[in-house]
Amino acid sequence: MDFLDYLSRSGDNLFELSLEHINLVLISMGLAILIGVPLGITAHRKTRWNPIILSGAGIMLTIPSLALLAIFVPIFGLGAPPAIAGLTLYALYPIISNTVAGLQSVSPAIVKASRGMGMGSWRRLAKVELPLAWPVIITGVRVSTQVVVGIAAIAAIVGGPGLGNEIFRGLRSLGSPGAENLVYGGTLAVVIVAYLFDAAFILIRRFTTPRGIR
Amino acid sequence: MSTNSTSEVMIELDELTKTFPGQSVPAVDKLSLTIQKGEIVVFVGPSGCGKTTSMELINRLIEPTSGRIILEGEDVTDAQVDSLRRRIGYVIQETGLFPHRTIAQNIATVPGMIGWKKGRMDERVDELLGLIGMEPSQYRDRFPKELSGGQRQRVGVARAMAADPPVMLMDEPFGAIDPITRERLQNEFLRLQAQIQKTVVFVTHDIDEAIKMGDKIVVLKEQSHIAQFASPEEILSSPADDYVSDFIGQGASLKRLNLTRIRDIEMATDTPTGTAHEELSTLRQRLAESPWSTMMILDDQHRPMRWVGGRDLNRANAGEDIAKLGLPATATVEPQATLSDALNELITSNGGVAIVVDGSGVFQGVVDIESILTAVRTMREENSQFYLAQKEISEAID
Amino acid sequence: MAVAPAPVVETESKQSQTRKKLALFGTPIFIITVLLATYLWISSLELDSIEMRVLNKEVLTESLMEHLYLTGISTALVILIAIPLGILVTRPSLKRATPFVLGLANAGQAIPSFGLLTIVVIWFGIGVQGVIFGLVAYSTLPILRNTMIGIQQVDKSLIKAARGMGMSTRQVLARVEMPLAVPVMLAGIRTALIINVGTATLATFFGAGGLGFVIFNGIQLNRDPVLVTGVVMVSALALSVDYLAGVIGRLASPRGL
Ligand SMILES: Nc1ncnc2c1ncn2[C@@H]1O[C@H](COP(=O)(O)OP(=O)(O)OP(=O)(O)O)[C@@H](O)[C@H]1O
Ligand SMILES: [Mg+2]
Repeated sequence: MDFLDYLSRSGDNLFELSLEHINLVLISMGLAILIGVPLGITAHRKTRWNPIILSGAGIMLTIPSLALLAIFVPIFGLGAPPAIAGLTLYALYPIISNTVAGLQSVSPAIVKASRGMGMGSWRRLAKVELPLAWPVIITGVRVSTQVVVGIAAIAAIVGGPGLGNEIFRGLRSLGSPGAENLVYGGTLAVVIVAYLFDAAFILIRRFTTPRGIR
Repeated sequence: MSTNSTSEVMIELDELTKTFPGQSVPAVDKLSLTIQKGEIVVFVGPSGCGKTTSMELINRLIEPTSGRIILEGEDVTDAQVDSLRRRIGYVIQETGLFPHRTIAQNIATVPGMIGWKKGRMDERVDELLGLIGMEPSQYRDRFPKELSGGQRQRVGVARAMAADPPVMLMDEPFGAIDPITRERLQNEFLRLQAQIQKTVVFVTHDIDEAIKMGDKIVVLKEQSHIAQFASPEEILSSPADDYVSDFIGQGASLKRLNLTRIRDIEMATDTPTGTAHEELSTLRQRLAESPWSTMMILDDQHRPMRWVGGRDLNRANAGEDIAKLGLPATATVEPQATLSDALNELITSNGGVAIVVDGSGVFQGVVDIESILTAVRTMREENSQFYLAQKEISEAID
Repeated sequence: MAVAPAPVVETESKQSQTRKKLALFGTPIFIITVLLATYLWISSLELDSIEMRVLNKEVLTESLMEHLYLTGISTALVILIAIPLGILVTRPSLKRATPFVLGLANAGQAIPSFGLLTIVVIWFGIGVQGVIFGLVAYSTLPILRNTMIGIQQVDKSLIKAARGMGMSTRQVLARVEMPLAVPVMLAGIRTALIINVGTATLATFFGAGGLGFVIFNGIQLNRDPVLVTGVVMVSALALSVDYLAGVIGRLASPRGL
């Protein structure tokens, strides 16, 4: 059982890389939320922009992930920045489309009622629409995160941090004894990170959803 | 109601029982029933009493746990299901038109499966579309989503009739539909049935619909136990037990207005009529010569348009549009509408009468409240005599 | 019978119509513009000998062909495997397995493409064959899932109506379930295609070439023109494939849905 052997020897290293991986995902997702939710709100409110925003974000999802990460190498050089930029773009579509869907699902009667109470458009957004759309938005974030955790493994190719480095190291030394263990170990750790994120989302969703619509 | 006197047995159910897997009590328990050829038998009962299950046992969409099904004298309990079902038209509760096939393709489903030639199928589709009052050239190539709810239900009925099966099962075919359209579809189906004389098993949970549609009614309680199996008249006038009378509910006597149809009572056919193209003077004279105070203006297809009185005619100037005089002719009913339908119309009408028109809207005559009352009186006498006689006979036998 | 009520024809929302139009005309224009701009930019450059080694007609065509080959073969294989499997799993006799298979398939989604591809190549050997197996393994999921969902979502009352008219289970599958599942199945095939175009970009690490070769060369040799050419070519390929799949999907879906 040299896989177990490998695990006991490289456990610390894998843990380290997992933290890097998680960090990379958190930063990219944070940026994606900061960009995606406002874009979603814009697409919802300014229907004229809706097709452009959604098609634009959809294109990011179609472009091969390696290409999306690599295109930022000429701009940022190798390392974490091109990975973060690429992953952020990749994460946008589910967030934007779910923000739009969530806002559209708020019943027109509720919107009208809050209008009738004299709420301005921004207050209405903050107090009524966003809280009601929240479960749908958070689902979009969760979907994005799942995708991004997997793709972040490619970051190693553009010199980025994370578990992809372990896989890549194994890949480069394929043929030498024990190389496959690196690939198994790296992949397994990515799967575990993905499940951890998913578990976290179930908790976040539960505790951030307004009680009345839980 | 079609009073069919041939007493050939079409369907016989013998202690049919269905226990769904994992349930302790049967959903249908020992249902035995004999259905004559050419009659409409209505299953009526509260939701969940087993109406759909009982019906689907007949075409074995649900396989019985025990009991036998006999169709036209042949035990079909173990027959090949697919060919059995092609002999039985089925209108399911949810309509179930195939959304990816055109109306024509939907209707031709069974004929296609039993190998009809294309020409024959096309003819049949057009014939059926005509029968259900939908212009073939207009609707043949549409898709179900391009129809209204009522039209979909009609196509569902046409599809079940396509291969001319001797038996039709109809599960709340007019269920999810507004009352006006529903009444129209009911009348239309009764008109059709008078021509085609199918054996029909009809499910509803609406007692009024049951009374209107049924030659016989089966009132069911839980587990499809039969509370009463009788003609609508008998169920209304002598319910078997409290369950049945509770189910009929209040106003049993008013419900009897559902038993008689316009075509069965006297209607006035001597109403003076005219068209908008005629001279004012001609119309004045015709009205004056009749015992009526108003006359009916018809359009070119002989459909009622306006009620015009003598005073309207006298006040009108020469050359004035006759189609704008008087009051609009509202409150139309078809011959297969019930007295209850007619009474409803009549109460809200302009002329105090209900106008009778045929299937294409052509004027037939009028019915007033007097003729309805007369009909009710005769009906009551006949019935009481009938039940008195029946009572005497059964007492004599005891 | 009175006049039949006017037909209810659904009108699409204006937004989704604009979006469809944008996709129908905008996408090809966008792709062509980007390709042209890149071509003009590269031709305006003085390429050094290192760049010339990759940025020439032979190498680029070969990489593109390899990429198309990997994508085409793996997608064809995955359709042949996953659709029958999906249908099989929804048959009445196996219906109980459906949620289990769906759950397994969903759980498998957490495996990163890079890792899965590498593992499959370790098992089946470096080279084109191993990579194709890897692509098949990774893109089976969407087609399998969409086939199952597509068939499952068919309204149960339609199946009842079909059975009630005397169709056999096989006729119900062929005439009702399959045609109604087609749009969802096509969406799955489209997703699988895109996944395969994307994942085939990694083929170069396993000796199977493809456009990833151009990109990775650009990164390793630190030559931006090479990198950008690779990125633009593979992106244009992915967008074109997606576009064509969308158009074909719309044409192939039964009318009336
Ligand atoms: N496939 C099934 N499996 C288990 N139980 C069933 C099934 N179908 C029906 N039942 C049960 O059998 C009983 C009778 O159902 P059925 O559908 O025949 O009622 P129904 O009289 O048609 O009601 P409704 O008027 O609501 O259509 C109900 O208690 C129902 O829950
Ligand atoms: Mg029912």
